[in-house]
Amino acid sequence: MIKNPSHPQKGHRKTRECKFTKAGIEYIDYKNAEMLLRFMNDQGKILPRRVTGTSAKHQRQLSTAIKRARFLGLVPFIAENLR
Amino acid sequence: MSTNYYEQTYILSPVLEEDQYSEIIEKYTNLIKENGGEIDEVDEWGIKSTEHEMDGKSSGYFVNTYFEAPGELIRTLERAQRIDDEVIRFLTLKYDAKMLRHRELQKKNAVPQIIDQQDEEDEDNDDE
Repeated sequence: MIKNPSHPQKGHRKTRECKFTKAGIEYIDYKNAEMLLRFMNDQGKILPRRVTGTSAKHQRQLSTAIKRARFLGLVPFIAENLR
Repeated sequence: MSTNYYEQTYILSPVLEEDQYSEIIEKYTNLIKENGGEIDEVDEWGIKSTEHEMDGKSSGYFVNTYFEAPGELIRTLERAQRIDDEVIRFLTLKYDAKMLRHRELQKKNAVPQIIDQQDEEDEDNDDE
């Protein structure tokens, strides 16, 4: 069994709600870096859907937003200390 | 002539003087106006440090503009910015219906925020 918190065991899995759907967000803005960082790990990677519970529709938008923010240097490509 | 709504963020070199910034911003706003565009909002974020180096600089002067313009303008504008040495990065987005609705909310300062679910996350950790 892989001991990885990002692969939750079957019994521990929880039905999660998409935070964007819940808040009624229609468009994810790349300028809101603080919000985007909450969907990234400390290495600067985009967290998978199975961890954050984001809906597929919003996950697609989120990844575009994060990539735009990375291009403008608002969020990191890779964390500074790991480079 | 049909026009679209655009948003552009560009980063200027951080080593310039204060009045040089307004000069450059004025240059681009005039370029938009002269080519049949209409400025909606120009928002200067000022000098911000960036997460990674761009052109050997670790900070930049961010400018965020909203404007309505015909599509042909974008090519002219981006070409001018590509040539300009002071412009480090630019990102132009054409707004679709969804983004326009978001913009309306933004103007009213009513963009829905994500509710912080930090407590719930802690609960999950307890389960494990």
